[in-house]
Amino acid sequence: MDGVTRMRTSSRSSGGRTSRAARAALLAPGLVAIGVSFLVPLAWLARMSLNRTVGSAELQSAVSPQSYVDVLTDEFVWKIAWQTLQLGVLVTVLAIAVSYPIALFLARTRSRLRGLLMALAIAPLLTSSVVRTFGWLTLLSDDGVVNSVLSGLGVTSEPLTLTNNRTGVVIALVEIMMPYAIIAMIAGFGRVSKDLEDAAGSLGAGRLRCFLRITFPLSLPGVLTGALMVFVLTISAFVTPRLMGGGRVFVIATEIFDQATTTLDWPRASALSILLLFLFGVFLVLYQRLFRLVEGR
Amino acid sequence: MTRRISRRALLPLLLAPVVALSACSTGGDSDGVGDGETTIRLMAYATGGFKEKYLKSVVEQFEKTNPGIKVEYDGVVSSAEMLGRLRTQKSNPTIDVVIMDLSVAESANKENIFAPLDPAAVPNMKDLSEHAKVRDNFGPGVTFDNLTLAYNTKAVTTAPTSWNDLWDPAHKGKVSISAPPQLDGIGLTVILGDMLGVDYQRSIDPVVGRLRELAPSVQTWNPQPDTYTLVKSGQVSLALAWNARSQLQRDLSDGALGVALPKEGSIMQVNTINLVKGSKRASAAQTFINYALGPEAQAAFAAEMFYAPTNTLTKVSDAVAQRTVMTPEKLETMIPVDWNWLAEHRAQWTDIWREDVISK
Repeated sequence: MDGVTRMRTSSRSSGGRTSRAARAALLAPGLVAIGVSFLVPLAWLARMSLNRTVGSAELQSAVSPQSYVDVLTDEFVWKIAWQTLQLGVLVTVLAIAVSYPIALFLARTRSRLRGLLMALAIAPLLTSSVVRTFGWLTLLSDDGVVNSVLSGLGVTSEPLTLTNNRTGVVIALVEIMMPYAIIAMIAGFGRVSKDLEDAAGSLGAGRLRCFLRITFPLSLPGVLTGALMVFVLTISAFVTPRLMGGGRVFVIATEIFDQATTTLDWPRASALSILLLFLFGVFLVLYQRLFRLVEGR
Repeated sequence: MTRRISRRALLPLLLAPVVALSACSTGGDSDGVGDGETTIRLMAYATGGFKEKYLKSVVEQFEKTNPGIKVEYDGVVSSAEMLGRLRTQKSNPTIDVVIMDLSVAESANKENIFAPLDPAAVPNMKDLSEHAKVRDNFGPGVTFDNLTLAYNTKAVTTAPTSWNDLWDPAHKGKVSISAPPQLDGIGLTVILGDMLGVDYQRSIDPVVGRLRELAPSVQTWNPQPDTYTLVKSGQVSLALAWNARSQLQRDLSDGALGVALPKEGSIMQVNTINLVKGSKRASAAQTFINYALGPEAQAAFAAEMFYAPTNTLTKVSDAVAQRTVMTPEKLETMIPVDWNWLAEHRAQWTDIWREDVISK
C-alpha cells in the first residue's frame, strides 16, 4: 500500500501539463474495459433486480422492490447466507493455516530452487477449478485413493463419505485457495526481516517466543490480505460447492445459479447478486479497518 | 518520454478499445435471402447425443428433400439457457426455430418470444397426439420422453421393476436423484403422489414423508458430471433418469447401464418445436417445423435416440417401440401431468425438497 502511494505522488510531481493528457490516454483503455465488462452489466443487473417474475417464469418489466422483499424475508436465504459465511470462515482459517508455513519459507529461502518451488506452489492456478474439483471427486470417492489408503492401512473398515457433502467441499476449496493465499502472503511478508529475529534471538528469546512476538505480528498484513482474498473467493465460489456438494451444500452462489438458469427467476437472481456484492463491500471495509489497525501498531 | 507520446498517441489510444469492441459485435446478419438459398438457425440441445442424432436423422434428411433451405444447428445445454439467450435478442432475433421443454416454452410464449404457427404451413400439426398439442397453435410437442430407472448392471443383477426399489436397503448410499428445480425430482414427486393416491396439486405431504425415508440412501441430489456417467462407472447403482438418454447410454456402454420402466408407470416430458417471433425466415422455418413433425422425421429420430414420436401416424419397428413409451400398454400407465401448473409451483416444491427432504 505504501508503494502505491509513493508511486502516485512521484508521478504527480514529475508530471507536467501534457502528462495529464497522457495519463488520461493510458487510463482510457482500462476504464473502457472496466466500464463495458463490469459497470454496464452491473447496471443491467441492478435494473433486472427491479423487474418482476409472474406465474412460472414469465419475466415482466417493472420497477418494483418485490424481489428484494422476497429475498430478505425468505428464511432459506438467511440460512444459506449464514452457511456461506461459515464456509468462508472455515476455508479461510484452514487455507491460511496450511499456506502460512509454505509462504514464509518461500519468502525467506535463498535456495537456488526458490524459483522452481514458487512455480510449483502457484502452478495449480494454471488448471481451472472445475478440473481440480473433478480431481478431488476422484481422489475422495468411496473407492478413491484416500479411502483405499485408509482401509488398506486398516484405519477404517467402511469408506468415509468424503464427497457429495460439506467435508468434500471444504477439502477441495482449501486446496484450490492455497495458491492465492500463498501469493498474497508472500507479497505481504515484505516487512518480516530476518535481522529482527536474529536480534530477538540474541536478546534471549526462544524460537517459539520469537515467532509469536516478532515474526507473526509482522506478517499480519500479509495474512490479512491472504485471508480477505480467500474469504471473498470462497463465499463467491460456485464450481466446487456445486460439483462437490452433491446437492446438499447450499451457498449463495449456487442459489443464484439455480434461480438464473433453472428456475429462471432473473429478478430474484439479480437481487441475490446485488446483496452478495453488498456483503463484499462490508467485508472490504472491515478488512481496511483491520489492516489499518495492524499496520498502525 | 511521456510528453512525446501523449499528443500523437492519444487519439489512437483512445480509439483502440472502441474499435476493438465494435469488432466484437456481429457484423451484419447474413440471412442468406436472395441467393436462392435460405439458412435457418435451429436452437436445440447440445448434450447427451441429441445434437449429433438430430443432425443425422432429421436435419440432413430435410436438407436433402428441401435443397433451397440450409439448417444451422445452435447447440445449447438446457432449455432455461435457451430462454436466457432468446430474451437478450428479443428485439432482433437471430434464431428461427427452437426445440425446448414444454414448460419453459410456455414462458417464452407468454413473453412474446415465440409466435403461433400457421396451421396451413404446418399441416402435420393435425396428426399430433393430444399430449403434444399446445394452446393457440403455439409450438407443439416434437418428442416425448419419460422418467425411468437407470441401473448399473454389475451392481444390480436383477432389473428393478418398481419405483420402490429405490428404497431397497441394498442400494443404500448408491442412489442418485436429480432434485428440484430439475424436472427429474419434480417428476418423481408426481409419480409418488400417484402411487400414494394423493392429488399433487392439493398436497404433497405424504410424498415428502416417503422421500425423507429415501434421503439417507441418496449419495447425490445433484449428479456430476451427469447421472449416466455415475451409473456407468458404478459410482451409483440406481438412478432416476430419462428414458431417451438412458437407452442411448445403454447402447454406448455395451449394457453397463440398464434401463427399466417401473410397473407403476411414469410421467412424460415433452419437447416442443417453436417459431421465434420476428424471424425473418418464418416461411422456411415453418417448412422445417412441418418436416420435423412429420412421420418420417419422427420415426428416424425415434430409431436413433428413443424419444417417442408425437405424430400418431409415425411407424417404427417393434424393437424401437419397446424401448420408448410408444406401445399402447405403456402409454396406458403414463401418469397425467400438468406441466404449466408445475412450472408455477416449481419454486415452492424446490423449497419443500430442500427444507424437508435434503436437509433432513
